[in-house]
Amino acid sequence: MKALFPRAGFAAGALLLFAAPFLTANPFYQRVAALTLLAAISASAWNVIGGYAGQVSFGHSVYFGIGAYAALLAYAKLGWPPIAGLPFGIVASFALSIVVGLPSFRLRGHYFSMATIAIAALAGILVTNWDFVGGAIGVMGPARARSFADLLFRSSLPYYAIFLCVLAILLLFTRLLQKSRMGFYLRAIGSDERVAQSLGVPVRRYKLYALLISGAFTSIAGTLYAVMVGFVDPNSGFGILISVNMVVMAALGGAGTLFGPLIGAAILVPLGEATNALWGARGIAYVAYGVIIMLLARFSPGGLAELGRFIVKGWRRRAA
Amino acid sequence: MSITRRSVLLAVPALAVLRQRAEAAAPVKLGYIEPLTGNSAAAGHAIKQGIDLLVDVINKPYPQLAPLPLAATSGLPRLGGAKIEVIWADNQGSPAVGQSDALRLITQDHVVALLGAYQSNITLTSSAVAERYGIPYLTGESVASNLTERGYKWFFRTTPYAPQFAKLYFDFLANVAKMGKPTSKVAIVHENTDYGTSVAQSITKFATEHGKKIFLTISYNANSTDVSPQVLSLKSAKPDVVIFISYTSDSILYMKTFQTLGYRPPIVIGDDSGFSDPSFVTSVGNLAQGALNRSAYAIGKSGSLSYKMNALYKKKTGRDLDDSVARPMQGFMVMCDAINRAGSTKPEAIRAALAATDMPPSELITAYKGVKFNKEGQNFLAYSMMTELQGKTYVPVWPPKEAIAKLQLPFKG
Repeated sequence: MKALFPRAGFAAGALLLFAAPFLTANPFYQRVAALTLLAAISASAWNVIGGYAGQVSFGHSVYFGIGAYAALLAYAKLGWPPIAGLPFGIVASFALSIVVGLPSFRLRGHYFSMATIAIAALAGILVTNWDFVGGAIGVMGPARARSFADLLFRSSLPYYAIFLCVLAILLLFTRLLQKSRMGFYLRAIGSDERVAQSLGVPVRRYKLYALLISGAFTSIAGTLYAVMVGFVDPNSGFGILISVNMVVMAALGGAGTLFGPLIGAAILVPLGEATNALWGARGIAYVAYGVIIMLLARFSPGGLAELGRFIVKGWRRRAA
Repeated sequence: MSITRRSVLLAVPALAVLRQRAEAAAPVKLGYIEPLTGNSAAAGHAIKQGIDLLVDVINKPYPQLAPLPLAATSGLPRLGGAKIEVIWADNQGSPAVGQSDALRLITQDHVVALLGAYQSNITLTSSAVAERYGIPYLTGESVASNLTERGYKWFFRTTPYAPQFAKLYFDFLANVAKMGKPTSKVAIVHENTDYGTSVAQSITKFATEHGKKIFLTISYNANSTDVSPQVLSLKSAKPDVVIFISYTSDSILYMKTFQTLGYRPPIVIGDDSGFSDPSFVTSVGNLAQGALNRSAYAIGKSGSLSYKMNALYKKKTGRDLDDSVARPMQGFMVMCDAINRAGSTKPEAIRAALAATDMPPSELITAYKGVKFNKEGQNFLAYSMMTELQGKTYVPVWPPKEAIAKLQLPFKG
């Protein structure tokens, strides 16, 4: 029973994800579903370094922006379909991880978080003043589809399918990571860096590996965003809210758990869209966000995953 | 009354009649996307107040606004007096949210047309959704030139756009040069985000295309608390003309810094926005006498349509109507008029009516020379005039035909 339960739950969850957009013919709900998966991809990518390795980055928008710009610059400068910018985004994210990761990993805790904020802000300013990449005005994608490769669809379902594939790959990857030696190393680093080091974990090397993986997947999320929305400017690519969203979603669901970020995204994205739709125009989403963060910080700092474990434990105890 | 078989039988046709009436008067729903939270929320809310006023004007009889289309009647006469209903969506300053808004308005709320979205980049992304769904989209407010360069079938713009402003400034300066004042050294001072950069680019592009050179370009951060370095470099370069593309707090700061550093450029042009903000005039009006501005709206003479509209707007909000609200209001009027002429809420019919729009200046709130769209969907009769701050208000000073007061140069500060 104990072994069966998570497996059955997993199967039900996977089935729901596959079926979700077909449960409704409403194009808006389908778009919300697609946006949820997109947010889940970036939050899950953040989770590798921020959750498992405990290095809370508030600057992941820099990778998101790189991916988004790579896509639209591939179109604007070379006339390629935006999705063709994906490998460029990944390569650039690798380069950035190495250049930025090595020095900033000397910092710990809050200081690391502050450094990452600074890096993202710097990237935003740099792009704003760099005319080649569109400066403050930003870069536009193709106005209308020239071919299928431009991936411009009226329906959100094709995007949903693409995002689901990427998310599945990312989660599978994370799952393997979790079980591997590296996963143990990262969790060791996450719980106490000094102890991990004293036990012989090559801390900086493994933090860098985690950042490489996390950054690359975040840049993929950025590319997919740009393909879907068709426009990016410094604020929508490098803005601090993008980073904060990743952190909040992962924290809500449970940072350092496999499905935590997905659960967080599945709650917060529809909540944001719904509040904007229902009470329109009153910024209720931000209020709701704030309340959720406060409740979480007070009652369940480990996110919903912790809460879930707690409930299951209590239920088991009673059953026994 | 007890429920008898007869009363039930009678109720059926009665209900049917009621339902038919209800259908005849079913409101025409329009979606309006605006920044109602975030950095541009103040502008978004000012526009919303203007549009809400127009909804009232259209839905109720306002015979005193006579030449304004749809004012004298209630609702849309050719749609059986159907009322206009606007469904607002907040774009939160995000291009992706603007896109979600457009999709939601089209598929959930079943709006027949969209308007918006203030920031050019959000107009860009949200109109792409309307294009894919085949729903007319009209902007009366976004000025980036690329919006009408996309070959869209469903996109219309009533406002003048950036290259037209550039032309206005240079036409005006050519005229000033004829008066014997030097105007060859033009400096552009612009804030460094989307708005400032794109307008500065359009002006520079226009200048180079017409064999003129921009003497000096200074970009700055609109949130900065000190602009003395920028003013000092202007002071040492001594341009003949300074064009400011600024938001509110920074344009106020420039006027104050001019005062403290004792520098006055001979000609100061403010590109709408910050210079048009009511708080600019109240806080530094006495330091900015003779500042020039562009505007597609002037309150005008007593009895004119623009004057009466201002009176209504002022009664509702306590503020005078300005260019940034009048242009979106004009766009909204054009849209409602087109739906009425279409006599239908079918998107294709509305699109055709929009494309066939031919509104004479007498029916306009703004100073456009009319509303007529070219095949890109741009209103090629869109038009702005030069206004000058004299006393507590901006008055039209150029071109001569529109001028109410005499141009007073140089800039007095």
